[in-house]
Amino acid sequence: MFVYEKKLQYPVKIKNTNPALAKFIISQYGGPDGELGASLRYLSQRYSMPYPELKGLLTDIGTEELGHLEMIGTIVHQLTRSMTPEQIKKAGYEAYFVDHTAGVYPTAASGSPWNAAGIGVKGDVIADLTEDMAAEQKARVTYDNILRLCDDPDVSDVIRFLREREIIHYQRFGEALRLATEKLDQKNVYAINPAFDK
Amino acid sequence: MENMDMQTGCSYKQGVLPGCSPLALSQTPPQQSSEPAYKSGEALSRGTLFPGLDLPFKNIVNQMPAETTELRELMALDFVTSELGLYLDTHSGDTQAFGTFQSFLKLYDEGKKEYVARFGPICLSDLVSAKSYTWLKDPWPWDYSGETEG
Repeated sequence: MFVYEKKLQYPVKIKNTNPALAKFIISQYGGPDGELGASLRYLSQRYSMPYPELKGLLTDIGTEELGHLEMIGTIVHQLTRSMTPEQIKKAGYEAYFVDHTAGVYPTAASGSPWNAAGIGVKGDVIADLTEDMAAEQKARVTYDNILRLCDDPDVSDVIRFLREREIIHYQRFGEALRLATEKLDQKNVYAINPAFDK
Repeated sequence: MENMDMQTGCSYKQGVLPGCSPLALSQTPPQQSSEPAYKSGEALSRGTLFPGLDLPFKNIVNQMPAETTELRELMALDFVTSELGLYLDTHSGDTQAFGTFQSFLKLYDEGKKEYVARFGPICLSDLVSAKSYTWLKDPWPWDYSGETEG
């Protein structure tokens, strides 16, 4: 089960209203490589995992991603909580505003609502861990791209923290893949799927 | 080179791959050690406890804030425990890292008790000896501003 902690993983304190930034940062809330998808990917993959290291790592990283989802939601909230109709129009935020006002809705920057098609749960140890490593890279690139576009130091500070977490997770998934495959037949690591073949 | 591993000859920025590895499989060198490590406040700012894995975009890094807060201190201790937790998930036999992990758990536990006594609960269970139901007290985490943070 999950217990809520009434604090963020990392401080988010944004002084200036700026819907133009919220318009693309929302993608890490509900976009294809965002934090909602990350948490659901890992927390869903863990059920079929055969080894305790994999169950533990997917649980712990999946839980951390829920904390990142909360941080991104907080960024979007703080960028938009005091916006005026003039700021909305100037930022081109009308389309989001008319559907969600100043609420935080899981959608990609390109407009599609969050979709489970963006995550993979294959039920195979090597395939799922390889997916997770790719997912961390895609999230890292999304944060790189946000840093290229972001002109508010209060926001960039938080984005740099989240981006570094993707690198740590990539390393851990790589180590987990090694630990898992060391348990397999070294002459043919694809002989069976240990998540299914007992 | 600093922090060179005597056995492998690799720096803390590097890992060791085995001499023979199966084909058709991606290989990530395992992190050799939980040392060197940043201090907790710097680890939080950097987004990692480990200098060896600290790989910033365009080499721009977060600066530590000039003034810290009780909440930030608590976040830093919590961050080190979860960072070491992920390390231990793939290095469960590292007794030195486990010892450090436990000492940070203790620091976090003590820090949390002090924080809760001054600012209110972090978890519902922190209300065990509270005088009233202070769970609802503002600010909630997304409401932070310069003035409201612990």
